[in-house]
Amino acid sequence: MIEVFLQVLIGGVMLGGLYALVAFGLSLTYGVVHILDFSHGTLLAVIGVISSLLYLAGLNPLWIALILVPCAFAYGGAFYFALLRPLGSRGPFESTVGTVLVTVGALLILSDVTSVLAGATPKNIPIRLGVYIIGDVVIPRMQLAILLATALLTLAIHLVLTRTWFGRAIRAVTQEQVAAQLCGVRSVWLRTMTFAFGAGTVAIAAVLYVLTYPVDPYMGFGLTVKAFTIIILGGIGNLPGALVAGILLGVAEGMTGLYWDTQWAPAISVVLLLVILAVRPQGFARKTA
Amino acid sequence: MKTRPCLTLVTSAMIGLAVAQPAAAKLGSCDDPIVLGTTLSESGVFSTLADRWRNMTKIFAEEVNKRGGIPVKDCNKSLPIEFVIYDDQSVPATAVSLYERLASVDNVDFLVGPDWSSIGGPVSAVAERHKVPIVMANVATPSIYERGFKYVWGTPAPVVPRWSERYFEMLKSVDPKPKTIYFITEDNPVMKGITTVWSKKAEDQGLKVVGSEMFSSTQKDFTAVLAKVRSLKPDIIYVSSFDGASVPLVQQMAQMQIKAMDVHHTMLTGSLERQVGADIEGWTGELVWYQGVKGDYSDLVDTVLERSNVDMFDYIWTLSRLNSYLVIMQAIEKAGAVDREKVKAALYRGTFKSPAGDIVFDENGFPNTGAFTIQLQDGKPVVVWPRDVATAQLRWPATASH
Amino acid sequence: MNAGRMQFVYGLAVSLVIVGLATMPYFASPYMISFVFTVLIAYTLAQSWDWVAGEMGYINLGHYCFYGVGAYVFSLALASHTTPVLALIWAVLFTAVVAVALAFPLFRLRGDYFAFATLALLPLAEILAYNLSSVTNGADGIMLPAHDVRNLTFMLAVGLSALAFLASVLLDRSRFAYTLRGIRNDELVLETMGGRIQSAKTKILVFSAGFAALAGALQAWQLSYIDPPTVFGLDVALIPIAMALLGGSGLLWGPLVGVLVLAIIQQWLLINLTMLNATVYGAIILFIGRYMPGGILRASWVEKLSMACRQRSNGPATGDAVPGLPGGVHAAAAAISSLPLVPQAVDRQTVVLDCRKVTKAFGGNIAVDALDLRVHQGEIVGLIGGNGSGKTTLFNCISKAFEPTSGGIVLFGKDIRSLRRDQIARIGVGRTYQIPRPFGDLTVDENVAIPLMYQDPHLRPSAALAQARKFLDYVGLSTRTGSLAEGLSLQEKKALELARALACRPKLLLVDEVASGLTPAEVARFTQHIRDMRDELGMTVIWIEHIFSALAQVVDRVVVLDHGRLIADGPLAEIVRDERVIKAYLGSAHAEDDHAGA
Repeated sequence: MIEVFLQVLIGGVMLGGLYALVAFGLSLTYGVVHILDFSHGTLLAVIGVISSLLYLAGLNPLWIALILVPCAFAYGGAFYFALLRPLGSRGPFESTVGTVLVTVGALLILSDVTSVLAGATPKNIPIRLGVYIIGDVVIPRMQLAILLATALLTLAIHLVLTRTWFGRAIRAVTQEQVAAQLCGVRSVWLRTMTFAFGAGTVAIAAVLYVLTYPVDPYMGFGLTVKAFTIIILGGIGNLPGALVAGILLGVAEGMTGLYWDTQWAPAISVVLLLVILAVRPQGFARKTA
Repeated sequence: MKTRPCLTLVTSAMIGLAVAQPAAAKLGSCDDPIVLGTTLSESGVFSTLADRWRNMTKIFAEEVNKRGGIPVKDCNKSLPIEFVIYDDQSVPATAVSLYERLASVDNVDFLVGPDWSSIGGPVSAVAERHKVPIVMANVATPSIYERGFKYVWGTPAPVVPRWSERYFEMLKSVDPKPKTIYFITEDNPVMKGITTVWSKKAEDQGLKVVGSEMFSSTQKDFTAVLAKVRSLKPDIIYVSSFDGASVPLVQQMAQMQIKAMDVHHTMLTGSLERQVGADIEGWTGELVWYQGVKGDYSDLVDTVLERSNVDMFDYIWTLSRLNSYLVIMQAIEKAGAVDREKVKAALYRGTFKSPAGDIVFDENGFPNTGAFTIQLQDGKPVVVWPRDVATAQLRWPATASH
Repeated sequence: MNAGRMQFVYGLAVSLVIVGLATMPYFASPYMISFVFTVLIAYTLAQSWDWVAGEMGYINLGHYCFYGVGAYVFSLALASHTTPVLALIWAVLFTAVVAVALAFPLFRLRGDYFAFATLALLPLAEILAYNLSSVTNGADGIMLPAHDVRNLTFMLAVGLSALAFLASVLLDRSRFAYTLRGIRNDELVLETMGGRIQSAKTKILVFSAGFAALAGALQAWQLSYIDPPTVFGLDVALIPIAMALLGGSGLLWGPLVGVLVLAIIQQWLLINLTMLNATVYGAIILFIGRYMPGGILRASWVEKLSMACRQRSNGPATGDAVPGLPGGVHAAAAAISSLPLVPQAVDRQTVVLDCRKVTKAFGGNIAVDALDLRVHQGEIVGLIGGNGSGKTTLFNCISKAFEPTSGGIVLFGKDIRSLRRDQIARIGVGRTYQIPRPFGDLTVDENVAIPLMYQDPHLRPSAALAQARKFLDYVGLSTRTGSLAEGLSLQEKKALELARALACRPKLLLVDEVASGLTPAEVARFTQHIRDMRDELGMTVIWIEHIFSALAQVVDRVVVLDHGRLIADGPLAEIVRDERVIKAYLGSAHAEDDHAGA
């Protein structure tokens, strides 16, 4: 039975890594720019659909990522600059309302346009890399590769946030905007860059996601809800925390399926979220000092 | 807090102006085309099940009219058909409004569609209330037909009680004989219905049901289920699920090298094959129609599918949709008049032709459509049962290649 | 046209609309009835959502859950042959219980966390509906008897929407609405003024949930068949919220306008566009969000349009400062005797405040360290100390903004450990804040009226607003009564703080650094206020201040804190010569100078 446990554990870790990936971009944009972006998951689903079409056109995933990441970056930056930034100069109530409406509108537009142009049926990138077999435990190579990619990405972003000027500037702006501006940080530019950076992360996540699971234009909001759950559990703005939280979630879902009932596995993330918030209403946000 | 009653009253007035439309053609006249009203789920969650059906519907009308339309005895001529199509956005309340509109504003002659039980349940009540015969398409939940409605029919294909009929028939004659079967079911009324009916029939046939697991449609990790399956080593694994929802399951079955004499999937489609590739090589499944079936209206259906670029293997719900159109056409012809009551009588317990065989309605308007057993061989679906229409030899054990 | 006539006209117009709607089944097409039904349901959802979001500021993204629960309970009841009336009642009761149960954990969360948690409720509810199949029938859904209930459900929906609108109108003028608006601005301050926030939050959530449940029940009845994705689907859950926001959240007509505009546009698009109708719909929502984020009704062009439609009516908030004239706090203020406060008999023996070894630690940082302090009735006690010496923290412990880590505080003979914040306000503690915390989006007079509404006997808003003006006259803000509090200058805000604190009818007033930033004349005036409060009204005052000259004029004694510890307690003259105080405040070099000079 230990093999079954191990298998489920490993499956959960890999699934969780993918969940964390979905949440990364959101952790950045929410953590830094404090915007509840409801179109986050839909953007991922749409980029996934595009990736799958590019794959059918003959490109390999690496090229797809190299093309789509800058596109997403540009989209994110433009989206923030044109639509969300002007709302920041309004009062807190109006800026919250405005962001909700803008991101909900974006969600509707993204899914509908994609559905019309590319069709609404599910798509993925069906590459099979085979498996490693250790004893009785099966480890799919593709998912292992994705987990490693996720870990690397986490490390890379973490280093950027802590070691580079850009990263420090982001954290300064998060904590004290006016003081940061006085020190020469151009806040608007920085926030735009962060949002663009977050969108770029979404593109990488999308390509990795469709290598494992299919996407369709209407599944986005469900992903967004899951992503929000992870960033709360992991601490807002805390990327390594999001990775841990994602993995924890994946494992919890797997264990629920093993020891209880597969049907309840999707509920576990919500229950965990509600329990954590009940116990610690302020979440786990650490000061990124 | 300021009040804006002006604005409110102005916008209220806009309701009447913007939304009311004048009535369309006169009902049942011999000079107007026959108008069929329908909605398609072109956006929203159900739109992920099919593409390009609006175009297909329009082309269907064109092709029928090219072939002369529908002969109507009482008019001494053939009348063309036309469709009024709306997008119900996969929202039942919206569909209800739209069918009300079709019945009372657009004044269609008859109703066809919708698809999906969530929508068919409420919409059937609307048709009944307006006394407009409706032939629903992909509405499979039997309880929707058991409400005592007189104006409601449907053409889901295949129907749950006949879904795997030919497959289990086939199992009687294979060698080596399977003894055990394990069901993995998606939490969905149609799929659960299939498992309920066919696990019982499997038992009746001497196959022992050694396990039955259910999973939710958004499930991503199946290690727990598959670990149980692996330890039990059933001869047949029966996957009762929509194609999209089963993609992770199929992939993980391949990765975990689950071996069995056969893996049977209730929705083996082109969409699934594109997403999982060789993982389903050798699997068996059901298909209601395939190219080369020379049934009635095959010529019409082939042309429509080719022109609208819809592949029946990709979108296996398509035949059910087209069948609903074919049935209403034949019913009108049989009734001899564009008259709702006469068509209703013609539909009652009627037998109608379709490319995959005859459709016979019971007194509830529920059909008897079955399916052919197929197998995926070298990446292509081939019909393996019944033997007289088979296009290839069954490979058994089916998944020896794993 | 005066206000009364305007209200009559509006009321008549609304009644006509309701009557018109109620007669629709007789003359309108079934399509219109069905469409208007969905509009009415959407309105009920949007309006009930806005009570919690617009009035109280809590964005409940899971509002649709109540709709779904109501739909399910009603359907289950009806399918098991209960009468419809009873089934509706069950739907409301069950959902209300769910709302009460959820209120406890949910309202411990603030702002965005509240939004996230409520958002997560929807997929949870859907999973529960799928998995508890012995109760809910799971994915098979629930089939209701298929009688022709179209007209009946329509009439009920008209009634429900009218009720929701009426509830909004009544709520708008009620005391309860002011509690909600106070919570929206600063719930801690509201609580320390006597507002019972936990019960208010629960009440409005239950109220909102009840309406949503009825909307769900009626929709289910009309559909005659429901399954989990129909009532808990994420894709439709945000739409009523977008509608309320689009019209103008927090405004009486906001949700109605938003629902009408979006529902009509959506239907028009569905009928007339064969594709991309969701894109156009989304684009409109996006456009409004970007350019009119306060909602349509708050947009500037609408303001101008409405002025063309009506004359300016006289509301309760008169006396707006004429632009251009210097407003602000002016010297010619009223006398303290004009305030509707009952003077107290002063008994110098009574101990008003007794702090016994009060300690407050934040992790490793001990802000208040084993503090003993006794204040008698009628004293004016100055509280001084360097920055970070724990003065404001002490105030926070007394008003129970914080719980002391250890030690006891006894106010008017009662141990405050067992008291809630609002109860502490009721026994007679009022305070001002170092950085003023007015209720920003309310007007100046509303700010002062709110604590007056919590007094015994309860005052209606109109009476409270009238009384508030007296307090504002006293502090010299009479020209600013109609202005929004957030637009005031710092001095005006401090004056507002004082007026609001007085409106709490305190017996013990805690004043936190009022004088910094004021001119000497203004300081003198504040000092006079404080003296009046003790002399004329018998209040006890503890005053944190840095400006010794101000303290010197009124205080009976001074208490000095340093790093959380009480280091001196006595008349001002002694304190300024106390070595420890000098060392703590001014540094030891000065003490040496003193010695050297002596």
